Amino acid sequence: MPDQLPEHPDWLWRTPDPKPSYDVVVVGAGGHGLATAYYLARNHGISNVAVLERGWLAGGNMARNTTIIRSNYLCEESAAIYEHALKLWEGLPEELEYDFLFSQRGVLNLAHTLQDVREGTRRVGANRLGGVDAEWLDPDEVRAFCPIVNTSPDVRYPVLGATLQPRAGIAKHDHVAWALARKADEHGVDLIQNCEVTGFVRDGGGRVVGVETTRGRIGAGRVALAAAGHTSTLTDLLGLRLPIQSHPLQALVSELLEPVHPTVVMSNHVHVYVSQAHKGELVMGAGIDSYNGYGQRGSFHQIEHQMAAALELFPIFARAHVLRTWGGIVDVTPDASPIIGLTPVENLYLNCGWGTGGFKATPASGWVYADTIAHGRPHQLAAPFALERFATGALIDEHGAAAVAH
Amino acid sequence: MLLIACPWCGERDETEYHYGGQAHVAHPADPHALSDAEWGAYLFVRDNPKGEFAERWMHAAGCRRWFNVVRHTVTHDISAVYPAGQPRPVPPSDEHSEVTA
Amino acid sequence: MTVDGFALAHLRRSPLGHLADRLAAAEATGPGGVRLREIPFLAQLNLRLDPAGPAAARAAEALGAPLPTLAGSVVATADLRVLWLGPDEWLVVGADGAAPTIEHALRRALGDEPGSVVDVSANRTTLELSGPSARSVLEQGCSLDLHPRAFGPGRCAQTTVAKVQLVLDQIDAEPSYRLLVRGSFAQYLADWLLDATGE
Repeated sequence: MPDQLPEHPDWLWRTPDPKPSYDVVVVGAGGHGLATAYYLARNHGISNVAVLERGWLAGGNMARNTTIIRSNYLCEESAAIYEHALKLWEGLPEELEYDFLFSQRGVLNLAHTLQDVREGTRRVGANRLGGVDAEWLDPDEVRAFCPIVNTSPDVRYPVLGATLQPRAGIAKHDHVAWALARKADEHGVDLIQNCEVTGFVRDGGGRVVGVETTRGRIGAGRVALAAAGHTSTLTDLLGLRLPIQSHPLQALVSELLEPVHPTVVMSNHVHVYVSQAHKGELVMGAGIDSYNGYGQRGSFHQIEHQMAAALELFPIFARAHVLRTWGGIVDVTPDASPIIGLTPVENLYLNCGWGTGGFKATPASGWVYADTIAHGRPHQLAAPFALERFATGALIDEHGAAAVAH
Repeated sequence: MLLIACPWCGERDETEYHYGGQAHVAHPADPHALSDAEWGAYLFVRDNPKGEFAERWMHAAGCRRWFNVVRHTVTHDISAVYPAGQPRPVPPSDEHSEVTA
Repeated sequence: MTVDGFALAHLRRSPLGHLADRLAAAEATGPGGVRLREIPFLAQLNLRLDPAGPAAARAAEALGAPLPTLAGSVVATADLRVLWLGPDEWLVVGADGAAPTIEHALRRALGDEPGSVVDVSANRTTLELSGPSARSVLEQGCSLDLHPRAFGPGRCAQTTVAKVQLVLDQIDAEPSYRLLVRGSFAQYLADWLLDATGE
């Protein structure tokens, strides 16, 4: 009954045709690309910017993540950039004039082994030294904070404790993208969907001066990649090889349930992370599929594995039904940390390798990337994440604290 | 779940295998002759194609032999399986063009 | 088993010794029957050598049968079963107590050729699953095609059953299977099989 359907809401952004050229062309209209364009305009007054998107806006990993936001990483370089993100998150709903349901309900990282306890207490100490809120909870405190976690001592991997970051939480991912898109558009940024980059235009000196797209050639003072799992398909066009591998990462939601899960729970050892979205569905994720894949789907045994893990931690979920599963394409680096900065190709900038943890970084990623592009040198928080670290050996190894997934 | 044909044991579920990444990556003959960037590239940089990919798998729960697979990274279609140490097979269409050239 | 003349056999404990009564009690007879028992302490020797080299023929002579070269095949003699594990690897299975004799004979056969002979008897115990329903029990946790058109006596496979890695060896057409499983996984597998035989 079409006449009973509500009016289609107004679009939050224009649908412009591409201009012949821009000061900056951002490739990829996911969260990071949109945040980059927004901060280029807001912080640096650069609004002659296009964001090119091969599909639809925020239809890749921005539409597929499990919406967890936290900054309790081990290494100080990582904690610094993720904490910068968390501080930005805390002000963004007001700044963007959009309530995207940012809920600081805390995140528990459960410890099930002596090694987990050592890693967790060490990370709590490191976080506190770095100004990141962090607490260590014993099993009774875990139960008090999240009563539905099975803390009984007679399970295969009993809960021995947990780290808690109280300021961590979740946000409604697609609303975040729309909020950023609307503000970027208001600043004059052109958001151009269904426009795939198929090549790069280079001048006699090898500098990138534009891109070839399915909607024609577009000139660019600078080209900034924000294409996640597809980054190396673009850099391959320039003969630039990157230390990233694209893997499927799957997630799932249950049917809608009454509010039962008050926080976010992650378990590296039992291998799952679970939160409950505002609407009521349980949102779960786990590890990447082992093989490279661009198909936005993975193997079912991963789903089986993560649900088994979820049931071990939350026996109360035993009768919940899976409503939907899906996959994204995550770009994974050898040290589980992102790559942000300049490239050997002049005028080409790189922001990739966020692996399984890009959503939480969205505002800081855009902030430091915009600054790097505007000034032609790495932002202070981005400098440690330069591509050169794979030659110097100054890796930022976050395999332990980055996520369940690597 | 991928169904992969081990060259020895035949078709088995993906869960019996261990993934080994890109195939045909040779260890540098003289690592000491490499620059830091070259050594870093050998350690950390691998092809990441959207399309056919020659990659290594090991039949971990079976005969424990490494072998190579050509798999399409979008469709997961497996077009070739061949023992480790052998060159990547030439696709039939290329063979044909060589014959007719 | 003796060490310096002292008999030690009475000190041995097989991984499933404590389940013997439960395994026996789970037997079902008749056309849907199935039996489950542990065969503890079988001699198991892992043999690796070049199947095209001179040691292969000497090993065949020592064992009394050629080494199987077809993937997933078994060659049996009166005393031994020789299981294909890989293109240059076999598992020689014999009776309890036979390991030193087999090891000695295989070492002599290998001589100076590249390869190895390792007594792995303590690595795995053996569960025997037999009876008219044995295949349907196994199929509940094994993704291999075990139908007689694809698998049968004289065939072996390294695979997973109920997620446990094991060596599967079909002994006869009844069918009877041997499941050679690591000691630390044996209890789990036995429990799983007991559960599966009840269905």
